[in-house]
Amino acid sequence: MKKVITGNQAVAYGVILSRVDIVSAYPITPQTTIVEELSELIASGRLKTKFLKVESEHSAMAALIGASTGGVRCFTATSSHGLAYMHEMLHWASGARLPIVMVNVNRAIGPPWNIWSDQSDSLAQRDTGWIQLYCENNQEVLDTILRAYRIAESVKLPVMVVLDAFVLSHTSEAVEVPTMEEVDQFLPPCCLEYSIDTREPAAFSVITTPEYFLEFRYKIQKAMEKVPEIAREVDDQFRSRFGRGYGSIERYGEEGAEVLLLTSGTVTSTSRIVVRKLKEKGQNVAGLKIRRFRPFPSEEVYEAIQGAKKVAVIDRNLSPGVGGIFAQELRACLYSREERPQVFGFISGLGGRDITPDLIEEAVQYTWEHSRPEDEILWLGLKR
Amino acid sequence: MPEIAVSIGSMDWNKTGAWRTQRPFFEDKTAPCNAACPAGNDIVSFIQKISQGDVEGAWSLIQEENPFPGVCGRVCFHPCESKCNRGRFDEPIAIHALERFVADFVSQRPKKIKKISPQGEEKIAIIGSGPAGMSCAYHLARLHYSVTVFESYSLAGGMLRIGIPSYRLPKDILDREISDIEALGVEVRTGVPIGEKIQIEDLKDYQAVFIATGAHLSRSLKIPGEKGRVVQSGLDLLKKVNLTGKAKVGERVAIVGGGNTAMDVARSVVRVGKKATILYRRSREEMPAFEEEIVEALEEGVKIRYLVNPIGIKEKDGRKRLECLRMKLGEEDESGRRKPEPIPNSNFFLEADSIIVAAGEEIDTSFLPKGIGKREGIVLTQMDGRTAIEGIFAGGDVAATQRTVAYAIGSGKKAALAIDCYLKGKNSEEAIRQLLIGDGPSLSIFRYVHPGERPRAPHVVDFEELNMDYFETSKREKEEKRPLRERKKGFGEVALTFTEASAQREGERCFSCGTCNECGNCYIFCPDASILKRREEMTHQVDYDYCKGCGICFVECPRMAISLEEEAR
Repeated sequence: MKKVITGNQAVAYGVILSRVDIVSAYPITPQTTIVEELSELIASGRLKTKFLKVESEHSAMAALIGASTGGVRCFTATSSHGLAYMHEMLHWASGARLPIVMVNVNRAIGPPWNIWSDQSDSLAQRDTGWIQLYCENNQEVLDTILRAYRIAESVKLPVMVVLDAFVLSHTSEAVEVPTMEEVDQFLPPCCLEYSIDTREPAAFSVITTPEYFLEFRYKIQKAMEKVPEIAREVDDQFRSRFGRGYGSIERYGEEGAEVLLLTSGTVTSTSRIVVRKLKEKGQNVAGLKIRRFRPFPSEEVYEAIQGAKKVAVIDRNLSPGVGGIFAQELRACLYSREERPQVFGFISGLGGRDITPDLIEEAVQYTWEHSRPEDEILWLGLKR
Repeated sequence: MPEIAVSIGSMDWNKTGAWRTQRPFFEDKTAPCNAACPAGNDIVSFIQKISQGDVEGAWSLIQEENPFPGVCGRVCFHPCESKCNRGRFDEPIAIHALERFVADFVSQRPKKIKKISPQGEEKIAIIGSGPAGMSCAYHLARLHYSVTVFESYSLAGGMLRIGIPSYRLPKDILDREISDIEALGVEVRTGVPIGEKIQIEDLKDYQAVFIATGAHLSRSLKIPGEKGRVVQSGLDLLKKVNLTGKAKVGERVAIVGGGNTAMDVARSVVRVGKKATILYRRSREEMPAFEEEIVEALEEGVKIRYLVNPIGIKEKDGRKRLECLRMKLGEEDESGRRKPEPIPNSNFFLEADSIIVAAGEEIDTSFLPKGIGKREGIVLTQMDGRTAIEGIFAGGDVAATQRTVAYAIGSGKKAALAIDCYLKGKNSEEAIRQLLIGDGPSLSIFRYVHPGERPRAPHVVDFEELNMDYFETSKREKEEKRPLRERKKGFGEVALTFTEASAQREGERCFSCGTCNECGNCYIFCPDASILKRREEMTHQVDYDYCKGCGICFVECPRMAISLEEEAR
């Protein structure tokens, strides 16, 4: 059934359809309406999920770690400072191999104080062992939640589903909402190999000496490496059941394009317009959407950029001292390859400033006109 | 290798208690209300019973210490409430109203009081059937003694009967609690004034005597013109009103004094349809009457003139003229109140049809045996009530300057204990020390009869020791009052008893200072799952095999029912 809903409502529908057992969250703009929606449903008795009030994001995640260790399906949502506050617990969730699904609504981290979209919050957590999936529209948001539980529970790693503040979180779009029966057939109940059983007491995540610690980390890496294959399987099943699908990346535009435009999140939607417009003008440009940031889809990306001479990366984030994080990841993935296109690293739209078609076109034109970037960081729309 | 670090067996073998440097333990402590109660009521425990819906249980707990909950719930000046820790948070618990609720609730139920048969030959005589005498009789009966109470008036109750108007203490309430005491087997012989036909020295059949005759002589003003029938004593007027329901006073009544007797007189005067004006030589702040009494008196139309002191009375054609001086407040005197000083040449006259003096009471010493020892107008006693004569004890108003009902009840109880010790050849002062509530002076006779039950450390819990994170502010339940118009028309009771619902709500406001009420906070917070929850056969306990002594339970206990001490090594 099609509904006109915001991105945050799409998240809530995803959680409801996933038959989540426990939600624990602490409010923060622009995430708040997600748990508001859920808590109201729970309070009214229409949703049988348990809602756990907590005094911080750190506690929200800690509570879910406990619940997930008990073998139930968990959900939380946060943003920005809330996610930063959770940092310690993010490591715990992945280290303890708990299939928790969390939504992070991308928001800049202050100061200066700002509540608008940028990716610095989620990308700052890239080394915590969480799978990260970035969404382009509200339909993708809902679908990604359902798929996230499948992936998380099969590789036993937590998944962060990421969407842009306001552009998705508070903007309504038409979304196809599947029925509970349909989702039940796609997503079986949560079943974990290791969970608390009071009849057989055991200690979880106990102290582990140097003899073994490395091996536990190795296993996490191996699980990450299994993600592409699992994700493909999940995507196939999802596509056949619901008629929609999403890869880890998506290439759009002409084959054999000389310049490739790499984006993530809602910037991709704008980029699609620019790519179409330039094609009409006769410029051979194609786009590449990165959907899964962790584990980084190196193979797929490399394959997709074959033939391109230059890649323009638009990063709505900044790792101060280095530059855009997607650009860094791309450079790292290309270094060992024989064919290495020039990487143009653009920074734009921090703190929620609009990344307009004009700005994107400016980036493409710059890339078109230069054989190599004049600088490691190329600032789009910067007021000097 | 598994994917996560999980032990094969449990971690039971790891006795983390060995790491402990400090040890938490459950230790109930004394609540400030309990320590402040002159009658020694275990207030926290009886309120807990009310909140659990067990009003009869609450009644039984009160009965352990005090046979007069219906009386105290009405007329006690409730020092417990001034000390209530909740008063520093929002408003103190309405303890008096809860006590009254318990008494009134239980009186509506059928109850059968069993006669207690005396064991042994000893007989005890009690002189005076007021709160001190009857409390002593009650506890002695419960200690299996044969007790006879001698009362000079035709009805038992002492000052409760003759001194307190029935709009504050209805007579049926008093009758009920006295007859409950008689039902235990106490013999009350009314109309037998000691000092007339029978002297104390004649009570040879009795192995111990408790003198609790109160203070019934009114102090005079010692001013010219006071003699004869020109003035009445406040106490005499109250006596008449209480025994006959009538008072002979003129239209305009001047009452001299600022204590509770003055208030009682003025409010009684209003009730027989006359005008009452109180003259008091200090200001309202120094008035010894209870605040609530003053407020209710003013509500009912009593006029109070402050800083006025009568210096002479003249009578002409049946009209009385009071010559007064205006006063001002000077330095503090030995009572801690500012001393009134006359303003020179401020004399003025006040007309009245009746003048009533309520300037305090003194004890009658005429019947006291020789050698009993007196000082500053009271019978001299040891802390346990012993007088200078062996086997003779004294308590209540006759032996105290602190003259309140609750104090009298407490002193009667203390004397009962002392008499038991005396007759059994035990050291009563030593026994009393064991039974003190907090640092005293009140004591618990329950602990004497049931040693080791409901133990309480003497430490009195202070507000700062409670964890206010666990309490929300709430309004104190108010006792409904009879409408003013109705109040002034007669002697019907002013304040009404709590409903069950308001008693329940008020009971739930109690912090339960120092007494575990099984809120379970320690159990929830203990990171080592080392609080063993209460079951039928045990209270909360600490599992010392695993308790690391982090102290979280101690900090999170809202009511200081857990203590923490250094671990002995």
